[in-house]
Amino acid sequence: MQEFAQEFRDAFALILAGDAELLAIVLLSLRVSLFAVFFAAVIGMPLGAALAVGRFPGRGALVVLVNALMGLPPVVVGLLVYLMLSRSGPLGVLQLLYTPTAMIIAQVVLVTPIIAALSRQVIEMLDAEYAEQMRSLGLSRFATVPVLLWDGRIALLTALLAGFGRAIAEVGAVIIVGGNINHVTRVMTTTIALETSKGNLALALALGAVLIAIAVTVNALVSLLGQRAEVREAMRNA
Amino acid sequence: MSSVVSARGLNLTFQTSDGPVHALKNVNLEIEKGDFVSFIGPSGCGKTTFLRCIAALEQPTGGSLSVNGMTPDEARRNRAYGYVFQAAGLYPWRTIARNIKLPLEIMGYTREEQEDRVRKVLDLVDLAGFGGKYPWQLSGGMQQRASIARALAFDADILLMDEPFGALDEIVRDHLNEQLLALWARTGKTIGFVTHSIPEAVYLSTRIVVMSPRPGRITDVIESPLPRERPLGIRDSKAFIEVAHRVREGLRAGHSDD
Repeated sequence: MQEFAQEFRDAFALILAGDAELLAIVLLSLRVSLFAVFFAAVIGMPLGAALAVGRFPGRGALVVLVNALMGLPPVVVGLLVYLMLSRSGPLGVLQLLYTPTAMIIAQVVLVTPIIAALSRQVIEMLDAEYAEQMRSLGLSRFATVPVLLWDGRIALLTALLAGFGRAIAEVGAVIIVGGNINHVTRVMTTTIALETSKGNLALALALGAVLIAIAVTVNALVSLLGQRAEVREAMRNA
Repeated sequence: MSSVVSARGLNLTFQTSDGPVHALKNVNLEIEKGDFVSFIGPSGCGKTTFLRCIAALEQPTGGSLSVNGMTPDEARRNRAYGYVFQAAGLYPWRTIARNIKLPLEIMGYTREEQEDRVRKVLDLVDLAGFGGKYPWQLSGGMQQRASIARALAFDADILLMDEPFGALDEIVRDHLNEQLLALWARTGKTIGFVTHSIPEAVYLSTRIVVMSPRPGRITDVIESPLPRERPLGIRDSKAFIEVAHRVREGLRAGHSDD
């Protein structure tokens, strides 16, 4: 029991001391996940917008597919990206396996459906309300998209945060394609997995605390933004 | 001189699971520049559908329809009309001024021009000083006026209004009707106005189009003998009551077959 308490004390000492190794791992995690969310947003938002305002054959099936892909198991995504990037895979020549870039790719695959599906919902709802108004102002269907994106920006930010929460907390995909190499591809979640099995609980706990802090902050932001939108909705109906 | 709106033999049939529904059947109507035309009739008579056809929000299935000498969709893309919907349809997260600016932003007006126009149309609908408010801070009547201001902000010659005052109480409605007439006199726009209310139609219009359902069709077109300048008191005049009576008769005749 005493040892247990000692591990916690050591963990917080690490955080408070701003341990260099800990900091490097946290920064790499943030870098990988932020880049992943950025690229996922670049792909996912236009995709979501196209699904929301577009009318083309197969749209319904595509919507179901994107929604279903939100639940992709990270380990399987890791495996597929691994196969693509491995030396004998189709993208093997790029020599990306076991690099942060590989980890970003895997997380983009995981996060894009989340951002696309949530963006589609947001834009579709706005569109239902304002489509005729926009049309009466002489706009084509696709010309309304920038207006809808801009006016839905708070809800869309929520979609980004949800994507980021998924990326930063995910371990299965990055450990397979990153390889958990010290100082190269070791991020918070993979370090926790490794250090726990090695018995180095202090570092694992310290990273766990940081990870929880980030996750809680992101979720708090999501619900805070959601609440603001709700309050406005309530005021509108009052 | 050609009409602003010209409908000849216009048909619109919706295919539903219960068979075809004739929303509009053989509708013929010319609307001249500067006219204030009201469409009145019971639910399902096609008055809103006809307005939506003019706005290219609905696609007729037969006959011909031109707006400013163009197809309705060309006219729409040329921003020939401003459309005021039944619900004010203001963005709750934009202020009144920014709601009015929305079409101007889209159309690429400069910032100064936008400010200038917002000020002018807010004056026009008697909402000066409310630009910084959010829609939920305004009453229903004020919201609807803001919505009218938005439709006036760009220089469309035609104003299409679909029961814009339907959800308002009678006192507010009277007031807004009076303001609408003043606005029409000042701007010289051509107005198409859908309503359920006989007094509203008679008070506002130079022509009243009486419609009837199943199939949606025009049963009477009444040229109003009232002068263009109309104080609210005109509603007690003999001429007003006679027109209202004729509208009521027209509506009753349209109903006799069901």
